[in-house]
Amino acid sequence: MRRRIIVVAAATAAALVLAGCSSADSPEESGGTDITLWLNGGDTPDELRDYLTSEYEDATGGTLTIEEQSWTDALAKLTTALPDADNTPDVVEIGNTWAPTFTYAGAFTDLSDMYDELGGDALLPSFVEVGSVDGAEYALPYYFGSRYMFYRKDVWEKAGVTVPTTLTEFNETAAALKTDDQSGFYFGGEDWRNGVSWVFANGGELAVKDGDEWKSTLSDPNTVTGLEQLQTLFADASLAPVTESDSTPWVNLNNNETTGAPEAATIIAPGWAHWSIGDAAPDPEDPTKVVNTWNDAVFGTFVLPGVDGGVAPVFAGGSNIAISAASKNQESSKELLKIVFSDEYQKMLGENGLGPANLDFASSLGDDQFATALIESAAESKLTPAAPGWAAVEGSGLLEEFFGKVNGGGDVEELATEYDAKIDELING
Amino acid sequence: MTVTADRRRTNRSPYLLLIPAVGILVIGMGYPLVWQVVTSMQEYGLQQQFGKPAPFVLFDNYLALAGNADLWAVVARSIAFCLLTAVATLAVGLLLALLMSAVGRAPRIILQIALLLAWSMPVVAAMTVWIWLFDRRRGAVNYLLDLVPGVEMNRFNWLESPTTFFIVASVIVIWMSVPFVAFSSYAGLTQVSDEVLEAAQLDGANGRQRFFGIILPMIKPVIAIVFLLQIIWDLRVFTQITMLQDAGSKSGDFDLLGTYIYKLGTKSQDFGMASAVSILVLAITIVLSWFYIRSLLKEDES
Amino acid sequence: MRARTSRALLGALAILVALLWVFPVYWMANSSLLPNTTLQSFIPTFVPFGGSLDNFAAALADGEFYAALGMSVSITLIAVFFCLIFAFFAAVAISRFRFRGRKSFIVAVLVVQMLPAEGLFIAQYKMVASVHLLDSVIGVSVIYIAAVVPFTIWMLRGFVTGVPADLEEAAMVDGLSRFGAFMRITFPLLAPGLVASGVYAFLQAWNEFTVALVLLPSESAQTLPLWLRGFVQASATRETDWGQVMAASTLVAVPVIVFFLIVQGRLTSGLVSGAVKG
Repeated sequence: MRRRIIVVAAATAAALVLAGCSSADSPEESGGTDITLWLNGGDTPDELRDYLTSEYEDATGGTLTIEEQSWTDALAKLTTALPDADNTPDVVEIGNTWAPTFTYAGAFTDLSDMYDELGGDALLPSFVEVGSVDGAEYALPYYFGSRYMFYRKDVWEKAGVTVPTTLTEFNETAAALKTDDQSGFYFGGEDWRNGVSWVFANGGELAVKDGDEWKSTLSDPNTVTGLEQLQTLFADASLAPVTESDSTPWVNLNNNETTGAPEAATIIAPGWAHWSIGDAAPDPEDPTKVVNTWNDAVFGTFVLPGVDGGVAPVFAGGSNIAISAASKNQESSKELLKIVFSDEYQKMLGENGLGPANLDFASSLGDDQFATALIESAAESKLTPAAPGWAAVEGSGLLEEFFGKVNGGGDVEELATEYDAKIDELING
Repeated sequence: MTVTADRRRTNRSPYLLLIPAVGILVIGMGYPLVWQVVTSMQEYGLQQQFGKPAPFVLFDNYLALAGNADLWAVVARSIAFCLLTAVATLAVGLLLALLMSAVGRAPRIILQIALLLAWSMPVVAAMTVWIWLFDRRRGAVNYLLDLVPGVEMNRFNWLESPTTFFIVASVIVIWMSVPFVAFSSYAGLTQVSDEVLEAAQLDGANGRQRFFGIILPMIKPVIAIVFLLQIIWDLRVFTQITMLQDAGSKSGDFDLLGTYIYKLGTKSQDFGMASAVSILVLAITIVLSWFYIRSLLKEDES
Repeated sequence: MRARTSRALLGALAILVALLWVFPVYWMANSSLLPNTTLQSFIPTFVPFGGSLDNFAAALADGEFYAALGMSVSITLIAVFFCLIFAFFAAVAISRFRFRGRKSFIVAVLVVQMLPAEGLFIAQYKMVASVHLLDSVIGVSVIYIAAVVPFTIWMLRGFVTGVPADLEEAAMVDGLSRFGAFMRITFPLLAPGLVASGVYAFLQAWNEFTVALVLLPSESAQTLPLWLRGFVQASATRETDWGQVMAASTLVAVPVIVFFLIVQGRLTSGLVSGAVKG
């Protein structure tokens, strides 16, 4: 018995020592502080990440560690990590739809005194708004994206239709383009991020602030009009499953290898999708991979037209960036922010198709059709309600559910009232 | 068993032996469990995570639960899913065990290895493959079923309606759980003495009578515990459902209790309510398994 | 003669069932050898002619697999080791002794298994973070041991009750101490049972995902299930490369399957020797 106890004790001690060695503890570099930045998804290209790392080292002598979180798991991780001073990331990219919720909860440091230095009024106003509480700025814009339409010129020509100038024309064109094998306009039933454009275009809102409280306004007459339009459009133009939400849209515009034809004549997608749209050919460097190169004769872009012409308000993609209030490295984090908002970095964002937070540099996006479409659609774009509980509303899946049922053919007014009640429970945090 | 001279030592030994297990359970589960009970009686959301104090609302969360029709739909769905899947798993597992004991060595080992391969596949890996197999456009299931004349399965979306969604979920869970049931039942079957069976056969009992009269009663304890474990696990099933939802729809119509709690906690950040639902699930499980627990304690005494 | 044909038929049936059951495993291996473009086609390829190991190379390219493998192996071995010891002691306690609190302990062991894990992650995070054990092998191991011990106690109890106490009594009459009798007679008989319980504990720890997700937030400290999930997430700008996903899945499954095949002889004999009793 004694011998066994000694063995066990030794094993435990060994395990503890090993574990101590294996936990990630980076030694401090002489001079600078090491900080961590959390980015969401793959939106920020490697070139920009490398730039941040090297600039940070030059400026402070410390090491910047960038960790990528998947959009699906980011919310859970932010919830547990941000309040924990010992383990919080120092700087975080926060989706613009989550920014209000976390800002209200007190997750971020007040950046008001840095605001002017980082860009001040040149920073995209709507994004600044969602990251502010009582006039103080906590989460600033990082980059903006937008959504616009991509279409198959060859398919449209064959059907004899032209680029629409009003929303109604678009809805009709999309319906006319639908065949048994091809969607006129492909979008999933639960895809509310794209579907909401029809709500916005008709003057509807997802929620408004009434006095001190936010209220869900799905049953607002304008919203209902937009939703009914969407419902008809889904039935007439899309072959996508009613349970599909934001998917990989470019798959549907490129030629399908087996059938040689695309699944859809038109899609709506965030700007960076254009890198994946085009004629398929084996990658010269790696024959097992396929590269799609844009072909102007076959593919085209346009922005979603508004109800009376002009541009329809679409859902503004993009993120904000903030410093964790619990971080022990406030000064170093601020240094990183200075680099992010530097002229050089803002230009790099634009050059890589990401709308720079500082609108003075919007021209770095270029002037090709993609940049033009991005800027045009972004100018009119709207964000989700800056309500304290909005992240919870998104996380609960209620919007996917609601849009799915609407596009499934349900009674719009009835569903809207039902879901208004459910959303109201969460929206004020 | 109790030798008088040892009495004093025997009295302390069991407690000493229990210390490590109890210790680790208290450390690993104790604090979280207490936290969960306390939080279920508070209003605890994201703001509380960042330091705002959590008001005590006692049983308000539970009352809100009682009135939440969506929750009861999920409960009903979960119980139905759990019972159907557990019973099916048990039936298939038992049949495979019988098959194993009726065949020669080579086929038996082949079958056991196949079951072992399935059992040892990590859930995340298995789910990836299964979702792939049921993919509406490129999945093998649709392709093979479509080959059957008269069956039109091209682009059938298994994950579109809750019914087919849960059929897929059930098939996957059964596939993953049967090996355990099969092996345990087989172990039980091998303990049934051949002589007793032969004697019964000589006495004129046919296959069915031998099965129901001799075999089944002898392996009842094994089946009972295996069934109980299936019920506990199938009621809480989470990873499979959440991965299917990622591939299909995140709508609440496709939730079972595991994903419901996860969404409440992680996604909607209503931790108070999530804790209350967890306690509710615990209660439901105890109710469902009450008979077994009682019979177990009684049998222990005898 | 009849018996032999029906036996042969049943044998064929068993093999058929085996093939059906193992099909998903085969599909995974098959797909891992094919390039993503082939997998995207609408006609599934059933046999990987012209396949290659490119997907594996790509999955292993950034070296994260090895780190995750190390993490999983350390955590699992520690968890299984301590779980077996603790559970074994407890199983002996409840099957060989009568004492006050015995029944309560048995019920507690059962009930603890019924608690859904999804609601506990915040508390577990806070607890582990407060002792600075996030991103560490120890932090996750402690939680895993606690999670797996109840079921292991249950399994081992069946094995211990399966060995009658009389055997020890007989050895004691021959002059051995109680402890000596236990080690010389009972323990060897329990070895297969320990193997069986160990394998099951191994499986549970190896595949665990939700606790690991929360307690291992840093990218540098991932277990294999987390690493695999990273592959499956179709990031906004990258479409899922299914070929690589299958290769990654195969890499995660292989160590377990190998381990299993090695111990399966002992496992089946362990189960056969009177294992899971009620």
